[in-house]
Amino acid sequence: MIRHIGGLVFRAVSTLLIVLVIAFFISRIAYRNPAAMLAPRNANQQTIDAVAHALRLNEPWYQQLWYYLYRGPDIQGAAMGLTHWPPGLGYSFRKQTAVTELILSKVPVTLSLALGALVVWMTLSIILGVVAARRQGTWVDNSIAGAAYVCLSVPTFLSGILISYFLFFQLSNLGIFWFPSSGYVPLTEDPFQWARHLALPWLTLALAEIGIFQRVVRASMLEVLSEDYIRTARAKGLPEGRIYYDHALKAALNPVITLAGLELAVIMGGAIVTEAIFGLDGVGRLAINSALDGDFPVVIGTTIFAAACFVFCTLVVDVIARWRDPAHAH
Amino acid sequence: MAEVRAIATIGDDVLQGRGDVVRSYVSLLFEALLKERSFRIGAAIIIFVVASALLAPVAAWLLGHGPTEQFRDVALTEMGLPTGPSLQFPLGADGNGRDVLVRTLFGARVSLAIAIPATTLAMIIGTAIGLVSGFFGGRIDRVISQSTDIALSFPFIVTALSLLSLNRGDDGKPLLAPSLVVVLIITLFSWTYFARLTRGLVLALRNSPLVEAAQTVGASTTRIILREILPNIAPVILVYWAVQLPTNIVAEATLSFLGVGVQAPQPSWGNMIAEAQRSSLYQLQPWFLLGPGIALFLTVAGFNTLSAGLRNVLDPHRHSR
Repeated sequence: MIRHIGGLVFRAVSTLLIVLVIAFFISRIAYRNPAAMLAPRNANQQTIDAVAHALRLNEPWYQQLWYYLYRGPDIQGAAMGLTHWPPGLGYSFRKQTAVTELILSKVPVTLSLALGALVVWMTLSIILGVVAARRQGTWVDNSIAGAAYVCLSVPTFLSGILISYFLFFQLSNLGIFWFPSSGYVPLTEDPFQWARHLALPWLTLALAEIGIFQRVVRASMLEVLSEDYIRTARAKGLPEGRIYYDHALKAALNPVITLAGLELAVIMGGAIVTEAIFGLDGVGRLAINSALDGDFPVVIGTTIFAAACFVFCTLVVDVIARWRDPAHAH
Repeated sequence: MAEVRAIATIGDDVLQGRGDVVRSYVSLLFEALLKERSFRIGAAIIIFVVASALLAPVAAWLLGHGPTEQFRDVALTEMGLPTGPSLQFPLGADGNGRDVLVRTLFGARVSLAIAIPATTLAMIIGTAIGLVSGFFGGRIDRVISQSTDIALSFPFIVTALSLLSLNRGDDGKPLLAPSLVVVLIITLFSWTYFARLTRGLVLALRNSPLVEAAQTVGASTTRIILREILPNIAPVILVYWAVQLPTNIVAEATLSFLGVGVQAPQPSWGNMIAEAQRSSLYQLQPWFLLGPGIALFLTVAGFNTLSAGLRNVLDPHRHSR
């Protein structure tokens, strides 16, 4: 088990390093004249030269790469490379902040968005999936399947616009102000306002996922329900509710957890569309704005952040799957 | 259906067999597909969408409105706001006085012209890589699966943006047509799914009697991969093509929605919806949003239904993804 995890961790770290190098090269080729792009707006030639010097842009690529990984640019005498503590991903001259700091300041929004959406979509999918499996073939099953189909086929940006139109614009026309259209309130400040501000984005993200997960839960439940131990449980006279929600669901959740981990990773890496529609200032927005701006240290940083989320979640999912699966227990 | 499954399991023998056997396999398959309700519904929707894409110029000619032509004096009110549906403008006008219906129909062309080649290219590349990786195993497999890991960990939209700026030449003009770049980007992000799927399928067949028999007869590796393994896994891969296609249609629409895919004034559902949202004019002229929105929904739903039907017939043991 430990050896297995060690192998996974090694692979995760090497994947991240390769992603870092590729992202470094893409951005170096993609953005011409980087020093001028990176310098603060209205910078004079002297500042641009200083930026070029700080990034070692006049040296060959392998030295630039080595320097980027090993030391990072010297800003006010502090190095911020990967091997320094805390490990840094460079410096945004535009925003006058270290990239790691910039990303970390946006993480609470993205994390709230992703985890809240996860709770909403998993709860709804599990309930709807189990109910559909229980009433297999009836009108209940069919109408849930139909609704899941619709959710699956509406892209996030469309459902986001519709949700904000109906649940914000139309409601406020009626004088009901349940949900604000945008903004973010930190959880530590006011938990109620936090949830109120995030309700619509959660719903938007959850809808798309329910379309996938409801079907997976249902299919997985039906498969588990045909197994012998469920028949045994029935024969023992256990109430149906316990059989479904306790015995069967526990086993049926295995494939669901794997899938949920991967979806969560993608959302953590930047729910760009949802953040854009609801004006949330998260990692996704930072990523797209800096990509449009040509602020490439931030682009590399957010790319690494997304990749790290993906790699980390895959790793966790892998370990959980092994731990829950009795066949791999030893 | 039972017969199809039985024949599908024999698969190889049938596909390699005489012409009449192959024909009966195909006709059996076709019969089973036509009996499947979701396949029929999906196919009907797709045919409708493809037909409207093909007939877009005819509609433009009948209405006398080109997809990028502006009719500010007819289609906008005195205040400069778009008018609703009328005889001349069946779905009303957009903020620039262009015909929403004609633009939506032309948007279907863009959508399909990007998603279909991208998915097909991804399928070809991914299947080839998956075949090699699954068949040879060992070091090759490890290198390939690490590369799929790497490709999967890149965030789609941000990387797409960086790649699109790669496309800018020294004079600021794009080196390749932007829609071609979008095709390549979507391919780059979807071959991995085909590679993983194919690899798994090949691994399952790798030590089957089918391959062993071929090896005993002395068939070459290429022959085994192309003539023994590929025909057996092809149906599943084709089903997956239909599964991946709607995802890629949404991917293109999302890029265009964010303003990095197909550029205005060329109509695409994504940038039309973005325009409707940005200007908030859909609150006055709902069809500005609903036209491209319903078209996108219908297309994605159609392909989803079609692939569900295909999966039910061809691959009864797989669960919905």
